[in-house]
Amino acid sequence: MIETIFFEQQIAEHPTTQRIRSALPRASWVPIDRYQELFNKRHQNFKLQKKNPALILAKKHDNFVLPVPSGFGMDSHKSFYFSHMYNCLYDCKYCFLQGMYSSANFVLFVNYEDFFTSISEKIDKYNGKTLTFFSGYDCDSLAFDKLSGFADEALNFFSDFPNTELELRTKSIAIGSLLQRRALSNCIVAFSLSPAEIAKSLDSKAPSISRRISAIKQLAGAGWKIGLRFDPLIYTSDWQKLYSSLFSEIMEGLDPSMVHSISYGPLRFPKKMYKKAANLYPDHKLFAFPMEEANGVISYGTTIETQMHDFLKSELNNYTSENKIFQCIT
Amino acid sequence: MSKVTGVDNNSKLQFKFCWVIALRAEAAPLIDAFNMKIVENKSLFPIYANEETGHALVISGMGSIKSAAAATFLKNHLKINDYSAWINLGIAGFFKDPIGDMYQANKVVSKESGTAFFPGLRLSKLVPAAILFTVSKPENGYKENALYDMEAAGFCEMAPSFSCNELTYVFKIVSDTPNSSSSLITKHLVRELIEKQLSKISDILSEIEILVEEEKKRLSIPNEVLEFEKRFKFTETNKYKFREIYRKWRVTFPSRNLDLAEFLNSKPKEIILKLEKEILANAKNWNAL
Repeated sequence: MIETIFFEQQIAEHPTTQRIRSALPRASWVPIDRYQELFNKRHQNFKLQKKNPALILAKKHDNFVLPVPSGFGMDSHKSFYFSHMYNCLYDCKYCFLQGMYSSANFVLFVNYEDFFTSISEKIDKYNGKTLTFFSGYDCDSLAFDKLSGFADEALNFFSDFPNTELELRTKSIAIGSLLQRRALSNCIVAFSLSPAEIAKSLDSKAPSISRRISAIKQLAGAGWKIGLRFDPLIYTSDWQKLYSSLFSEIMEGLDPSMVHSISYGPLRFPKKMYKKAANLYPDHKLFAFPMEEANGVISYGTTIETQMHDFLKSELNNYTSENKIFQCIT
Repeated sequence: MSKVTGVDNNSKLQFKFCWVIALRAEAAPLIDAFNMKIVENKSLFPIYANEETGHALVISGMGSIKSAAAATFLKNHLKINDYSAWINLGIAGFFKDPIGDMYQANKVVSKESGTAFFPGLRLSKLVPAAILFTVSKPENGYKENALYDMEAAGFCEMAPSFSCNELTYVFKIVSDTPNSSSSLITKHLVRELIEKQLSKISDILSEIEILVEEEKKRLSIPNEVLEFEKRFKFTETNKYKFREIYRKWRVTFPSRNLDLAEFLNSKPKEIILKLEKEILANAKNWNAL
């Protein structure tokens, strides 16, 4: 439950702000000038703030759509990402967000229309090329959707561009807004997944794996294309057995033709982010493994990464064609 | 200057709550409630403390700058740990009745500079929130729907750097409103207003204490590490490496002790290497859960 909402005065009358105001009438509404007044300031404590984050409603002014980092997404497509929100309801220990900002407060940019204008410009610029737009890079695409109403507006927009793909990346089971409408052929609902035992330990506050799998099957049943994202891969003593049974649980009763793509990626942190995250959770086993450092990136190292890559590729080939499987290395 | 009972003044004391209070009349009920004794009375800023109850308090006098200076003085004088909570509590004007209600400031604005601060985590189950303007002269107009004080902005400028913003709190008790002039405020009234809120203050402290304990656990350096650092001559780089590898070793082998006797003839680098090797040997059967 969000108790405090800081809102930029310039967007006080924006329809999204008004809708959130009616949804949360009992929260404290505090006017601010700019979200940077309180977001990501020095001496903030991410871990403590995460216990009771506030919502900040703001207007984004520039950099609405950015090219994805290399290794993210399918190479065959020109890909971009956009972030209508910073930070996430969930508290996944491996997530780069905890090393990215010193604030755990959620920033929601309410001027969705400006994101869509910017996306239109990219579509015009790359006329004829297949473009993919990723949502959910700095946030979870659906976790906040009941309040933000973003997915519905995005889907309305993308329905006019059938040759342009939208990927909603999520761990959320808030799929109501999707199930209420006809499936959009150019939208991929991509779920981040780990073996249940690992998710239970690392994906704090996120829906359990069984509930995510159930949401996947409901969406696929309703005609939505599904993306399966095993990123990051977590190493543990019986990882092969755990991942193998996860794949089998997901694919059981799921029409393989509804799977748009499957991707996997190794656990990697920029050195600075690793230090910040380990400092926040010094007692967590994730940050006790003897990781390797190369070129400023902390990882399990090539031996483990190769083992995991080979296993995943071969195992996933049992369920879908090779051209739907790709590895993400960012 | 008298000493805090039973404590070596050179060591870091274990204060969980550091109060920065403008007026003696505001401080008195807190000093009594938490059984604090004077430990510094020769400087501009008198300090009271009781290590057993975990409270330290400085009386700043009126004004934003004095509040910032007094907080700094308390931090340095008692060598306050970086996991302690910092609290500014006092009386304030408010745009509406009644007097006596307590609020948590969720936004503090310096009227002088325009700078805004957003201290603390919201404690909405215990205390309502309000915006607070810090003014340089007493405010009798109550023009905005807000609280008015003369210290909080200065306090908020400094206190987060001593621990963090989420352990910095501002609470105000309404002492004057458009219907109850500030000219009616007496020492006796101030004391009474604070005393009436002591039970709620105690509930608030229980919530804040949970955060303090969590930060204490996260930031404290284990005794085993301190013993090794005392026994061996670590360079600054090796000290950092040792602490980092010890953290991993401790998580990997939670039931083992790091035995000083095993390393008596070792060099710091050899200690680090041995811990690294033990963790690596365990990596093949790593249980991430």
